[in-house]
Amino acid sequence: MQQLLNGVFIGSIYALFAIGFTLVFGILDRLNLTHPAVFAVSAFVGIELVADAGLTVWVALPIVLFLGAVLGLVIERVAFRPLKNRPDAHFAGLISSIALAGMFIALLQWRYGPDTRRFPAGSFPETPIEFGGVAVTVLQVAILFISVVLMIGLTWLVARSRLGRGMRAIAENPTAAKVLGINVDRVTSVTFAISSALGGVAGALFAMNVNSAQLGMGAAIELKGLAVIIVGGMGSLPGALIGGLALGLAEVFAVQYIGSSWRDLIAFGLLFLILLVRPQGLFGARKVREV
Amino acid sequence: MLTDATLTFVALGAIFAYSFYAVLVAGQLSLGQAGFASLAAFTAASLTPRPSEVGEIPALLIAIVIGMVVGSAAAVVLGLPTMHLRGVFLAIATLAFAEAVRILILNQEWTGGAQGMSVPKVLTPGIAWAVLAVVAYWFARMGRSRYGRALEAIREDELAARAMGIDVGRHRLAAFTTAGAVAGLYGVLWAYYVRLIAPEDFGFTAAIDGLVTAVVGGSTMFVGPLLGSGFQTLIPEIQRALGVEAGWIRPFVASALLLIIILFLPGGLASLVRRRIRMPKRRMGTPEQGLQTRSHPAPGELLASLEGLSKEYGGVHAVENVDLELRSGEVVGLIGPNGAGKTTLVNMLSGLIPPTSGLATVLGTQVGRVPVHRVAKAGVSRTFQHSKLFNRLSALENVLVGGHLVSRPTFLRRLLWLPSARRDELAALDHAARCLERVGLYDLAGSRASSLSYGDQRRLEIARALASDPTLLILDEPAAGMNHVEANRLSDLISSLAADGLTILLIEHNVGMVLSTCDRIVVLNFGKVIATGTPDEIAADATVIEAYLGSAEAGTRPTDRTEGSHP
Repeated sequence: MQQLLNGVFIGSIYALFAIGFTLVFGILDRLNLTHPAVFAVSAFVGIELVADAGLTVWVALPIVLFLGAVLGLVIERVAFRPLKNRPDAHFAGLISSIALAGMFIALLQWRYGPDTRRFPAGSFPETPIEFGGVAVTVLQVAILFISVVLMIGLTWLVARSRLGRGMRAIAENPTAAKVLGINVDRVTSVTFAISSALGGVAGALFAMNVNSAQLGMGAAIELKGLAVIIVGGMGSLPGALIGGLALGLAEVFAVQYIGSSWRDLIAFGLLFLILLVRPQGLFGARKVREV
Repeated sequence: MLTDATLTFVALGAIFAYSFYAVLVAGQLSLGQAGFASLAAFTAASLTPRPSEVGEIPALLIAIVIGMVVGSAAAVVLGLPTMHLRGVFLAIATLAFAEAVRILILNQEWTGGAQGMSVPKVLTPGIAWAVLAVVAYWFARMGRSRYGRALEAIREDELAARAMGIDVGRHRLAAFTTAGAVAGLYGVLWAYYVRLIAPEDFGFTAAIDGLVTAVVGGSTMFVGPLLGSGFQTLIPEIQRALGVEAGWIRPFVASALLLIIILFLPGGLASLVRRRIRMPKRRMGTPEQGLQTRSHPAPGELLASLEGLSKEYGGVHAVENVDLELRSGEVVGLIGPNGAGKTTLVNMLSGLIPPTSGLATVLGTQVGRVPVHRVAKAGVSRTFQHSKLFNRLSALENVLVGGHLVSRPTFLRRLLWLPSARRDELAALDHAARCLERVGLYDLAGSRASSLSYGDQRRLEIARALASDPTLLILDEPAAGMNHVEANRLSDLISSLAADGLTILLIEHNVGMVLSTCDRIVVLNFGKVIATGTPDEIAADATVIEAYLGSAEAGTRPTDRTEGSHP
């Protein structure tokens, strides 16, 4: 039971990270590999806000959300928009976002140095809550709560709002969306901003959960994020949520029963299996290619 | 700055980048090369006898052979189940494989786990560059061979490549296996240079580095990986020589330069090198040697028969119960209002989509039950309603790909510089030039397909389709976007092709042109044949006239999706 809950907590962070990944892929058909760098940047900035500026984590989180959104705008403007009309935009976008991620991480190293950073002691409530014989901390509950609220908010946004309609129209057919009077450039920017904002919060929450941030933390979660969005179905928001939780649980139980050295194999084994059996993922709809 | 170590790393980086180039050329994005290299390195290092026993060079050679075999075998094993994946999906599946390999090796005893395995240092800069030269030579000779062109065609437009008779699955697997072999080679060379190999040497970062190197260098020209590796390896070295301190500035500058290159040099560094465009001599009249020619069935013989052919898309009958016969030497027009199912019908005829029910036999093949390239091989060639040219190739290269089925494979013979390969290539060039000449595009042979005007693109498609020496030529709205004069010239071309013994199925909205060009006309409406007959009969047919005028009334026709929507 304790393991189950731990799996849910870590899984909700994976889901939050992956949902930003899959949002951009589902709507714009681009894989944004700067996303993991945003995750790392936000973790470090979150720690700085708490450790040096003396803010509480509850104030730091909205700031990190905002920072993520700004980074998203930068990513779209610098790494993706210039490539818009190129025939190789797929490959080129991958590489340009990798390059931008390299720049972000280098800047991070400049500001914070190469070492692991931690929140100062007592930054967040560690009070354990007894919960049917299981101990959880307020922090863990908060992580779960924030992740779920953000993901529900996003799902609502995409499904119901005017902006979401624009996003879905672009996902169907960017040219037609433009003809219908949708400002494709603006919706694209906003999509990147939302995606990165979620990735940023995921980074800060992750840092809180393990109480540390390293320069390489983005690369570690990048692979898991990719696994989650494939398993859940590229572009599927509920798929990313369930995929994230499933991965979190699978990892926790793998450590319990198989041994920690094999933990990371779970994600890739699952991923590989899904790609072979059901390439569109558990919740994805297969896109039909036009001749 | 150019120490032995730097030189060696440039060569190693380039070889690894070639393993990415091998698949990028065919439009595949794979990150599994790190896994192939890892398997190859550890296997070779543990199986090869020590250099002290057999000598350094023999040990290295044995290791290379083992590594390349392991690498290519791993690629086949991974490739068979994953070759149906495209784009990012293939990248992630192969990445998952590489990660799985890393974790596996990390947890094995014989590999030394996280401590790694120590390997004697045998590789010198000279050997590294010699091996690189061999690899580069391989890809340089591949570029202008039939095989190399087929890979490029698959990258540009997979479906059109299939329709030109290219067995896409086999070619993709071949490219993937080559990537495995080259990655294996890299793994072994790496192992015999760095003294200590660890699973982390072949992790995610290494895979990304290899991909970045290949893309920065450029994946459309064989010098790309070399340029990319030079760039990636030398940038930090130059910074160090300039006194830039270690830490954040070096990776920052390297990343920024990478970004600049990818944004402003679309073809990578190799695009700075001018691509030579071959122009064949205009030699008309002499029949080419080395090309196979098809003998067409005698005029009037049954070529294709459709019986009760239907296609349904989610309840909408795009084509319903069509019976049709095509006889050798005929020029048959297929007309009908928008959404009548014309394109769906020819897509079934050329094997692109399987019928929901009914039977179609074309030139002895059961279309819909065999792969598209087999239908093409039987002698069916086509153009597409929306141009599907190989956009980044020249007009001439497009037509050369069209000649895939009638030209002989040249790659292996080109590696050995056999004169017969040169003869075959020249014959293919001549043949392509002749096809271009026939549609009046000879003077534009060197232009990129995407830079041609719309009308010229339509004609280039015809030239490409002609190049396979088809028995049945299907033209899907060839006159769209042409003016009156051009359409007349096209009509003359069709007549002259028919005089050569080709059977032609012409779909066209320009009814005047169809009436003046065709022997027989089939009219389709709502997926059903509503009339067949000679041009005179059709022109006088009341149902046909009504179908055309009546189609202007809204609400009675099926959705437009049936026209031009395909798998």
